[in-house]
Amino acid sequence: MNRNLIILLLIFLSKLSNAQQELLSFDEHNKYIYYGVNEMQGLSADTLHNRGLLFLKTLFPRVVFKSPLKNINILCDGKFLTYSGSSVFKHEQGEVNYSLNIEFKDEKYRFWLTNFTYIPYERDRYGNFVPKLGKEMALESINNELSKKESDAYLNETGLFCKQFAERLKIYLLNIPKKEEKLKKIVTDKW
Amino acid sequence: MKKTLLMLGALALTAFTYSAQASVMPADTGKAAAAATPAPTPDPPLVFSGSVDTYYKYDFSGKPSIPTSFANEQNSFSIGMIDLGLKKTVGNASFVGELSFGPRGQYESLPDALGKTLVGSSYHIQNLYVSYNLSSKFNLSMGYMATYIGYEVISPAANFNYSTSYLFTNGPFQNAGFKATYTFSDKVSLMAGIFNDYWNVYQSGSKVNTFGAQLTLTPIKDWTAYINLATGPASGTEIDLTTNYQITSAFKLGLNAADFSAGEGYTGGFSGVALYPQLAVSKAVTLGLRAEYFTTKTGTYAPVGPGSGNSVMGYTFTANIKAGPLTIIPEIRLDSSSKSEIFPGSTSGSFTSSASQFVFAAVYAF
Repeated sequence: MNRNLIILLLIFLSKLSNAQQELLSFDEHNKYIYYGVNEMQGLSADTLHNRGLLFLKTLFPRVVFKSPLKNINILCDGKFLTYSGSSVFKHEQGEVNYSLNIEFKDEKYRFWLTNFTYIPYERDRYGNFVPKLGKEMALESINNELSKKESDAYLNETGLFCKQFAERLKIYLLNIPKKEEKLKKIVTDKW
Repeated sequence: MKKTLLMLGALALTAFTYSAQASVMPADTGKAAAAATPAPTPDPPLVFSGSVDTYYKYDFSGKPSIPTSFANEQNSFSIGMIDLGLKKTVGNASFVGELSFGPRGQYESLPDALGKTLVGSSYHIQNLYVSYNLSSKFNLSMGYMATYIGYEVISPAANFNYSTSYLFTNGPFQNAGFKATYTFSDKVSLMAGIFNDYWNVYQSGSKVNTFGAQLTLTPIKDWTAYINLATGPASGTEIDLTTNYQITSAFKLGLNAADFSAGEGYTGGFSGVALYPQLAVSKAVTLGLRAEYFTTKTGTYAPVGPGSGNSVMGYTFTANIKAGPLTIIPEIRLDSSSKSEIFPGSTSGSFTSSASQFVFAAVYAF
């Protein structure tokens, strides 16, 4: 009985540690991919495209668009930073670069993030953390360059980033924030 | 009792695991989430970083003989410094404050303790500046900043070799001033600035008349070159080339070449070149060599190293062994000069034309 419980505990623990990592799958080219398709009832492809563009420009202003903005589908490159240390004492540890594809059709869209690469950061003489020269590595092969603990951590962070990206994109496409209305002023000299 | 505890533990973990999985499951209905609006990406957090270093050094002459900066204490377990850096960015504005405590970060490199004693050494500033991005390509910075000149720096965490070169020791450590950097493309950027009349000072002698510039070139991926200039009537003129090329994933080649002409009241100067080949032989171990030629020009200016008109050649063999944030650095260094003048010999008052030392250092960066 005890042995069974311990095995059960170990299984749960290992599943917990791999929770984010498992969000990434492999595509037909053996590259990590995060893929999603969602229905958007009542929304045209154009509306979804415009909201998607606004989403990226607002929340990911540093993405570099690789396709003309008028194209119905979006192709761009982006990156996010990884941090080391606790929530109070921490610094940039590296960046994960990715390619993002979003395709829109009436009442649905699909997207995928892929071509993940990792660049470790180092501290420069001015106290800034900057990309280490010549150390860009594909996420699929970071096991060859980094320890298992480090590579697992970056895979987990990438999985978590993709999951959060997908959630935010969906929220934005469903419920685009309205532009701020002009502030109504109360005139006190009139009843 | 044991069984009950195990059961409770298992249940708690089940609940925890389930909640962790649920929180990463992609939302598939969209309805519940539709009420919320994503917040814009927040500013980066307060960045806290630094390093701690300590070393053992043995000079084979039995007394400290190689005159370059740091790792000087003979047959001694000694300390370098604890270095603490803070950086915060809000919108386009940033500050960096970096404090250091210990010989390397106080009287061995900072200007307020020229008496070579910790007594009265109250300044600990390595970097203290603010900067503002006028656009994504144009940055302005003002304050006391690590120099833009040269290959090596004060922080041991940013150097491959633990001991330092003659070019480093004789070049500027910090420049206080105001500089503007414009990035023309991902291959070219240019910095130009005006700095205090002397290097390594928190305040000017009386003038702000050193002009500085740095042209950064990235001709191909993984190769960066910096062409640097600092020129002023009092501080003299230094022209410097610093470059790094990661030729393969395992092999990197660095180069530093500089020429210095002394300022008002002096003649002469120095020039030199140092080559830094480094080879990663495993995930954890990198081997490297620093081969440096340094010569003092004929004149009245006396840099640290050979006398007027003489030269020195230094070979430093270094290994970096990484264990997470800790780097172990064993190092052997062999220097020889063109004349028997700069290296104290084993007998009192004698000088030799060569010197050698062993250093074993540990640097923890966080």
